[in-house]
Amino acid sequence: MTSVLSIQNYTLDYISSVGPVRVLHDISLQIEPGEVLGLVGESGSGKSSLAWALMRHLPGNAREVAGSLRLGDIDLQRLSPRELTRIRGRRLGMVFQDPSTSLNPTLTIGRQITEALIQHRGLKPRDADALAIDLLGHVDLNNPAAIMRRYPHEISGGEKQRVIIATAFGCRPDVILFDEPTTALDVITGARILELFARLRRETGVAALYISHDLALVTRVADRVAILERGRLVEQAPAADIFRAPRHANTRALVDAVPRPERRLVHDKPRDQVLLAASEIEVRYGSGGLFRDAPPPATKKIGLEVRGGEILGLVGESGSGKSSMARALTGLARFSGKITFDEHEIHGMRDMDAAYRRDVQIIFQHPDSSLNPRHRIDEILSRPLKLYGGHLADIPRLLDQVRLPQSYANRWPHQLSGGEKQRIAIARAFAARPKLVICDEITAPLDVSVQAQIIELLLALRAATGTAFLFITHDLNLIRQIAHRIAVMRRGEMVDLLPVEDFDADHVHPYTRELMAASPIPVG
Amino acid sequence: MTELFIRLMRKPQGFVGLVLLALIAAACLFGPALAPYAPEKIDFLGRFRAPGWQNWLGADQFGRDILSRLMVGARSTVPLAFIATFVGSAAGAIIGVGSAYLGGRTDEAIMRTIDAVMAIPGLLMALLLVSTLGNGAGNAVIAIAVAFAPGMARVTRSAALNIRNQDYVKAAIARGEAAPWIIFREMLPNVMAPIVIESTIRVSFAVMLFATLSFLGVGAQPPASEWGLMVADARQYMHQAPWGLIAPSAAIALTAIAFNLVGDGLRDALNPKDER
Repeated sequence: MTSVLSIQNYTLDYISSVGPVRVLHDISLQIEPGEVLGLVGESGSGKSSLAWALMRHLPGNAREVAGSLRLGDIDLQRLSPRELTRIRGRRLGMVFQDPSTSLNPTLTIGRQITEALIQHRGLKPRDADALAIDLLGHVDLNNPAAIMRRYPHEISGGEKQRVIIATAFGCRPDVILFDEPTTALDVITGARILELFARLRRETGVAALYISHDLALVTRVADRVAILERGRLVEQAPAADIFRAPRHANTRALVDAVPRPERRLVHDKPRDQVLLAASEIEVRYGSGGLFRDAPPPATKKIGLEVRGGEILGLVGESGSGKSSMARALTGLARFSGKITFDEHEIHGMRDMDAAYRRDVQIIFQHPDSSLNPRHRIDEILSRPLKLYGGHLADIPRLLDQVRLPQSYANRWPHQLSGGEKQRIAIARAFAARPKLVICDEITAPLDVSVQAQIIELLLALRAATGTAFLFITHDLNLIRQIAHRIAVMRRGEMVDLLPVEDFDADHVHPYTRELMAASPIPVG
Repeated sequence: MTELFIRLMRKPQGFVGLVLLALIAAACLFGPALAPYAPEKIDFLGRFRAPGWQNWLGADQFGRDILSRLMVGARSTVPLAFIATFVGSAAGAIIGVGSAYLGGRTDEAIMRTIDAVMAIPGLLMALLLVSTLGNGAGNAVIAIAVAFAPGMARVTRSAALNIRNQDYVKAAIARGEAAPWIIFREMLPNVMAPIVIESTIRVSFAVMLFATLSFLGVGAQPPASEWGLMVADARQYMHQAPWGLIAPSAAIALTAIAFNLVGDGLRDALNPKDER
């Protein structure tokens, strides 16, 4: 049996100002008919470059040094542009990461899906319409005929991804490339997309290359997993084996970094005294006008308590109001309600004095945007020291604390990697010697291995300073490793607030159970 | 800075613009020393002399050498235009960033006021101010600066609104920084690129506006050899001696083009995504 997709000794360079940079070294992969190959790698490992090479859509500075790419009996590298348009979509489908940008916002869903069918399957418009409705129904979209008439902004992200998957499958390609199709979606929506993918695969027997950074997720959808590390293929194994018996050291490191709820990282108990108590916190963005009602509040009268030295997890999907909570607590959003901090009552942004601002620090999600690109690291770190009292001589100590070399003080933020930038943001927060640090999805944009290092660092800092954390995340597995208690939010309401041990118990809210079911727990 | 300069020199428009600017700067600095004649030296035998070996760009109605007048006049045209743009841009940038930082009703009030000011055409505005303040080059500078500030404020505000939503600004607010620090140290440096680009383009407008004011008789006063004034003077003799009109017009156009090219070049060179 011949492979549907075969990559032989493929080597790819990007030409940059400092000369050629090798992104893929001697990659050899085969996908057999009906097989799903998972390709896992951290950011910068070259996995997307490989996908683009297969789609023959490489940037202008790419140079293919060696190797061949074959789709069945076709040599992809020799195709003319005209031949390529007949291959793309028709024989080689692709599903992208972000569904919100992969549909054209000015065309109806119907136009976009029938266009593909007319182009690639040579159908008449009327037949294409009928087939499109059929396909949309098949990916579990309610009322497909109505969806056909809508524009992309009128349906949700999950629905968009379903439309794209329907289009990809509808053209009956030999192979479909999935480039992180669930990364931009919520956990539960993503889990449903994966279920859909599994079902469609059973029905059609299509082969697929599934690219992701999430090893745990890939082991659930793929038959075989290939691990890519800085452009080199370090391991290929059946999905079930890779978790149980990783052979290569890099794979083992990757497997170890995957958060597992049963492996607790925190063993102490929080103090009894309540550090921060928030009650009836309501955050509203925008007010009603003459002709429109006020939008619904982002959080609906929520209360929570953080004890001294406690790690409180706050979990929910995007739009659940968890970040609004963080903004209210740090005085970045207007709110109504009451915060009691260290026996000090706060009713609004104005009541937050310097002492409160010092004691409650926030670390943001995106390290790229939380450090001012025009300030050097030492200036960034000097601000809290100047504001809250402290010596500039402490900067080397702060860098030591987050395990960065002291020479970094003179660097610019863009000279640092994502993980290093996040360390600087952590150092900046801890420079104030806070009692509570709010972490707003701080590990979400980072690779798993970097995430594990950051978590370890935070826990070490906590051990040294006794700081409490309010840890906001969408990753239930991660938070179950470290939190003492976890609050679950949905649509501005708090549905659950449980000690972490109770998460396996029966009395959890149905939504919490759904969330747990959707979080991919590593197999093996 | 040197890196920026090198990147600017690599772009064709940046290179040409910089070379032209260097020539203009040389004229401003050494013009009077290099000029073949004194700018106000009258030669009745040489009235309306066509360009030739005696007067390279010809002579005007009093037989004054046009090249010499241009070289000396550069000093009273280009630096003033530059100062006017600088003052106008700085004021506009601070208003824009401040407005974006304050947000809400204050922002609305500031921006609607600016809209009202912008409704008056720049030239009309400048004329209005000069006629209130009185004729003269100094007042023309003020008038041009005032006319430029609202446009600059708007450009800066739109850039600053993006910056306002960046986490580093939120972090500064959350740690309780004072407004001046946030405006001047956190936000302003990050909107410099559009400000610099917009200003270089506006210098060329200022040169033209300045020349227009002088042409209308409210800017520089005769017998100064300001370029706009030279155009105004030569206008009556357009058919007898077109060179009297063409030379200063070309000088104005060249200066405007030079600043525009540098502005274009800067836009590319300041774009960090353009690292090739």
